[in-house]
Amino acid sequence: MLMKKRFNPIKDKSGEIIDFLMASPDIPDDETLRFKLRLSIEEAVENVVRYAYDGGIGWLEAGTSLDHDSLILTIELRDAGVPFNPLERKDPDITLSIEDREVGGLGIFLCKKMMDTIDYRYEDGNNVLTMTKKC
Amino acid sequence: MDVKITNQDGKTFVTLDGRIDTTNAEKFQQDVSMLMNMNAPDIEIDCKGMTYTSSQGLRIFLMLQKSVMVNGGKMVMRNMNPQVKEVFDITGFSNIITIV
Repeated sequence: MLMKKRFNPIKDKSGEIIDFLMASPDIPDDETLRFKLRLSIEEAVENVVRYAYDGGIGWLEAGTSLDHDSLILTIELRDAGVPFNPLERKDPDITLSIEDREVGGLGIFLCKKMMDTIDYRYEDGNNVLTMTKKC
Repeated sequence: MDVKITNQDGKTFVTLDGRIDTTNAEKFQQDVSMLMNMNAPDIEIDCKGMTYTSSQGLRIFLMLQKSVMVNGGKMVMRNMNPQVKEVFDITGFSNIITIV
């Protein structure tokens, strides 16, 4: 990890964490890419800030790295909250009519669509979410 | 995010400017809450200045569209930038909200 920072506590800190990651020198200047990366980062960070800890009292470590040969950007989020694999959540049914669509449940789905890969592992008592994108 | 709401000839015009994200979604919801209580509204939302929305914004647009339907009105979103439109397309929101 070239850029890494631990935020603690994380309650109401989503904006700060997103801004930290988007300011990383690993994140490219390209506007189209930045849009997709910001969206994925926001959804993934929100997921931790809202649900990982009871009352948002806990830490989140956020980092980026860029492989300069393959130009693959990696974004990693780590927390010590409730073990939770967001990838196990069922994708929303995007074909439902407006009456049946539910408000919410789109965050991780958007990450999956915007990033090239997204992986989850539980390691040393931590949730670790890793997202990659070719830049 | 800046929200301007004006009424003219029985139509309601909404102009959005900036980003809708986790830091301002609550305020955005308050800003548009009056639109959810109108009887048979005819709402046109100009999205030209809206540069970004996350699922937080989508949630509010869905609530708004549902309320407009229940209240017997109509709503259309205009001038959406291609990246924001892609978010509406990917999530199927383009099928349940009128975008022109």
